[in-house]
Amino acid sequence: MSEVLLEVKNLKKYFDTPKGKLHAVDDISFSLDKGKTLGLVGESGCGKSTTGRVILRLLEATDGEITYKGIKIRELKSNQMRELRKEMQIIFQDPFSSLDPRMTVSEIIEEPIKLNKIIKNKKERFDRVLELMDLVGLSRRLMNTYPHELDGGRRQRIGIARALSLNTKIIVCDEPVSALDVSIQAQILNLLKELQNKLGLTYIFITHDLSVVNHFSDDIAVMYLGKLVEKASAEELFSHPIHPYTKALLSAIPRASIDNKVEKIILKGEITSPINPEPICRFANRCNFAEDICREKEPELKETSSGHFVSCHIFDK
Amino acid sequence: MSTIAVKTEQLLKTKKRSQFADVWRRLRKSNTAIIGLILISIFLCMAIFAPFIADYAEDALKMNIRERLQSPNAAHWFGTDELGRDIFARIVYGTRISLFVGIISVSIALSLGGTLGAIAGYYGGKIDNAIMRILDVLLAIPTILLAITIVAALGASILNLMIAVGISNIPGFARVVRAAVLSVKDQEFIEAARAIGAKDHTIILKHVLPNSMAPIIVYATLKVATAIMATASLSFIGLGIQPPTPEWGSMLAGGRSYIRDNMYIVLFPGMAIVLTVLSLNLIGDGLRDALDPKLK
Amino acid sequence: MDNKVLDIKDLQIRYVTEDGIVEAVNGIDICVEKGKTLGLVGETGAGKTTTALSILRLIPDPPGEIVSGKILLNGIEVMDVGEKEMERIRGDQVSMIFQDPMTALNPVITVGDQISEAISIHQHVSQEEAKIKAKEMLELVGIPGARFAEYPHQFSGGMKQRVIIAIALSCSPRLLIADEPTTALDVTIQAQVLELMKELKEKMNMSMLMITHDLGVVAEVCDDVAIMYAGRIVEQGSLVDIFKNTKHPYTEGLFNSIPNIDDRKAELKPIRGLMSDPYNLPQGCSFCDRCDYVMEKCATEKPKKVYFSETHFTECHHYSDNPDFQLNKGKK
Repeated sequence: MSEVLLEVKNLKKYFDTPKGKLHAVDDISFSLDKGKTLGLVGESGCGKSTTGRVILRLLEATDGEITYKGIKIRELKSNQMRELRKEMQIIFQDPFSSLDPRMTVSEIIEEPIKLNKIIKNKKERFDRVLELMDLVGLSRRLMNTYPHELDGGRRQRIGIARALSLNTKIIVCDEPVSALDVSIQAQILNLLKELQNKLGLTYIFITHDLSVVNHFSDDIAVMYLGKLVEKASAEELFSHPIHPYTKALLSAIPRASIDNKVEKIILKGEITSPINPEPICRFANRCNFAEDICREKEPELKETSSGHFVSCHIFDK
Repeated sequence: MSTIAVKTEQLLKTKKRSQFADVWRRLRKSNTAIIGLILISIFLCMAIFAPFIADYAEDALKMNIRERLQSPNAAHWFGTDELGRDIFARIVYGTRISLFVGIISVSIALSLGGTLGAIAGYYGGKIDNAIMRILDVLLAIPTILLAITIVAALGASILNLMIAVGISNIPGFARVVRAAVLSVKDQEFIEAARAIGAKDHTIILKHVLPNSMAPIIVYATLKVATAIMATASLSFIGLGIQPPTPEWGSMLAGGRSYIRDNMYIVLFPGMAIVLTVLSLNLIGDGLRDALDPKLK
Repeated sequence: MDNKVLDIKDLQIRYVTEDGIVEAVNGIDICVEKGKTLGLVGETGAGKTTTALSILRLIPDPPGEIVSGKILLNGIEVMDVGEKEMERIRGDQVSMIFQDPMTALNPVITVGDQISEAISIHQHVSQEEAKIKAKEMLELVGIPGARFAEYPHQFSGGMKQRVIIAIALSCSPRLLIADEPTTALDVTIQAQVLELMKELKEKMNMSMLMITHDLGVVAEVCDDVAIMYAGRIVEQGSLVDIFKNTKHPYTEGLFNSIPNIDDRKAELKPIRGLMSDPYNLPQGCSFCDRCDYVMEKCATEKPKKVYFSETHFTECHHYSDNPDFQLNKGKK
């Protein structure tokens, strides 16, 4: 029943910086079934957004393989890729900078349809725009307003409508709600979920907010400094986290509740530089459990129980 | 969120509020910009309706020794020059040349410099480096000196004057456009456009340029003023418009030996230059504020 | 009475702009007791930051305008003191930490000098002493004193926020206003910084006004909570009052909007609609057009405060009509 839509194998993306190679994404692999949501979690600078952009080829990968519906994306020519972009879309974090301030709401939603020559008749195209606005809950009277006249939640709805305007199958959601207020955040999350059920969409949901992914994802992959440290189904990850970083991350979430207080694991230090990292465990110098082996060799991603992968020397038994 | 059912036809008719109207609304609030606009429209009217104000051959060109060096009077509002020509008529026709040369030379600089700057800014890297280093060499030569050299090499004529002033302004425009493009290029909506399959030229023309227009418009307005100054300066030293064609700079040059007794010969052309340049600068400053999206 | 570090009464602030008048703060009363932390919770545009700035008298005027109200800071009426005196009060009596650690530090001055500058302005000590004190402050916030002479860009976001906390605390203020101090930080770093702030508050016996939109943060650090919506405090009470005995529909909506980390199947119930236009607030309750319990009179009449205990009150018509009214959250 489950059909693999996207597969990423040994994906690497290095950036050249004056100080050396920045390992933004370093050898990560995962696969994603149709209609499912993968949560990609990590703190700023862990490479989660880069991963999303590399998958859409908005950035070119350094190495690795990305397969979408059996097509190897990295081998496509730019016009073939343009064809494929109709099915692969992205929603951005910042609803303020991701919309062209000189275009009206309807122009923004119409643009992809026009560019890709999906509907040539102007009247029909216009009807499609209105249909999309209804779908994402944007009132029709807003069609001639400019983004700067609207609030964050409505702007994010425009971004979603734009992403849906083509024949979209998979959407990379790059922190789509972190710039929004809590009450609006919930509106947008519910909308995304509703659209997934209605249109059978597949999501890669990038976020730093674990409580959001928990609610939203089927599988969760935790990234730290370009590496995948743990991957499991959302339920499994939250009930049995294995990697010390995942545990710390889970305990650090501020809970809006005054009973069942969780003992906080406060990490020492801060993220080390991702430039020319040594081949050891990248979390070792913040880890409360690190042993000698962690500072000698890089751990590999191992399956500890069915579907639960962990990359840690100490806890992968 | 309730969707108000509105008919498609009705929606199609509702006009989007144009951004131009917004800019105009803010520009109107600046008194100095309005003064500039009024002044420049007077000059524009003079340039357009020159034939209705004075006769070119009769008033502006024909020598009339008997009426030379007259002070301002009813027949000759601004007086007459050393050859008996009506100064007012000459200033009116001089407006044509000044504005024409100013606008055309800035257009030349804008189209060439702008294209180079946009390419350099959008693609970056080696292309950027190559273009900008070549332009840096041009920039190292003072604008007026460069213009003098070009006119001296090509010969003095209106066309060559425009080319000279235009070329000498290319590096400036390239820099401004490049900076504007750079500030827009890394915004997410550009990435969004690529994600929906837009090609490079679509992105540059539809997203990058419209959003980097504000500083370019302001710069161009200010540069028209300097181009008018450059034209007058070149004509003053005899490298621009040649006599007897009426041009403000050459009028100043011709009248300068009579300045002691008949100062209005140079006073009025001088004032014409000052006022046009001033009005353009006022408009430029007003536009800078009106176009600044931060004030929205 | 003497126990109140901050006591704001009937504060009303508006911004007069070209497009109209924004009623930012519409008659609020808050007080922070000695050694306690009050959480001021609300969404963008609720008037939280405006309130905070008014305590420091930092509202830009124009367009800002304090229409009425009293702000008592350790018994001093802030609005009556002169500008010189005010400069002394800022830093001495009250300090503020801003949201963005990236822009709050001067990039061309070493962090050590920025801290000692704050010290020497307010305390009459020699430069040497100020430096020694600054080093102590750095160590207090968990940064090795050896990094005294480094520039802000050599620090990470979390470290910068620590430096800012060090500056804010360098003159041992009696009240610390923290405006979303951890919003720009990563979760694990946020946990570190919150822990640090709690610890320092105890150590220095300060009071704190914690401005945030995150009820999670509130649960961690606050003793009392004030929920702000469209310039009004709609509900205020102790942490237990607010979390266990929620009374106002907006407070309930905020709780329902947060994904519950312990129950992933729980459905999110967002508050419908958007915050009302601040240029044109509804005549009655400002929450009326988003409220699930709205009644006829909500649209026309401003609700009054209803007290449930000495500290816990809400502004909602339901309770004045029927003291036993229950929100859905309370029912289950």
